[in-house]
Amino acid sequence: MIKIVNEDFSLDELYSNIKSDKNGAISIFLGTVRDDLFNKDKTIEAIFLECYEGLAIKQLEEIKNEAIIKWNLNKCVIVHRIGKIPLGDKIVFIMTSSPHREESIRSNEFIIDQLKIKAAFWKFEYYGNDSKIIKTKEKDLKKNLKWESVIKS
Amino acid sequence: MKYFSWIRVKLDKSEDSFEINGKLNFKELKLFLIQKDIFFKEIFNDNSIKFFINFKEIENETISIIDGDELGILPPVTGG
Repeated sequence: MIKIVNEDFSLDELYSNIKSDKNGAISIFLGTVRDDLFNKDKTIEAIFLECYEGLAIKQLEEIKNEAIIKWNLNKCVIVHRIGKIPLGDKIVFIMTSSPHREESIRSNEFIIDQLKIKAAFWKFEYYGNDSKIIKTKEKDLKKNLKWESVIKS
Repeated sequence: MKYFSWIRVKLDKSEDSFEINGKLNFKELKLFLIQKDIFFKEIFNDNSIKFFINFKEIENETISIIDGDELGILPPVTGG
């Protein structure tokens, strides 16, 4: 299941989509809005997430399918919020299930790392009347290189 | 044409429509857009920006663009 949503989502409802007697492990990643750790003068009120929806759905499907094949997953759920999201709220949810824990954990990390550098979403931080466009982090780009060799193996 | 992130902010609009008579390739479309607005020169010179036609990344500038096609102009993404 892949969803791009404007509103907050229920973790219980999403969990009900993945429950199965075939699962030995379910891994969950939940990304939330945090304050800027390096800027003590300003507090982030919210972020705004912009999306090219048609392309983002296609990209998330490709990432999900790659993970399912590579780690032989039972199921995979990806939900991404868009619009204005207050400090502390949920942004992105990734849930992977598999017979054993290694596959669900590894695939979950792969999906969030790929999403961060490939999927058509853009983040802005809001500080009162001010806003700032967030730039791609170098460490996220470097992490992708690690996955290239994993996927080829 | 769809604009996102800092490009949308700078142009102060999220999309544009242009009529194309006949068929253009992407290289010709770039020249056409630069003639319309010199800002596109900055966009096309920026190696970090990606271009998509109908949700497929453009890898070859000779690809044909026809009326009704959707061009997405994408700065580096920052989701998650």
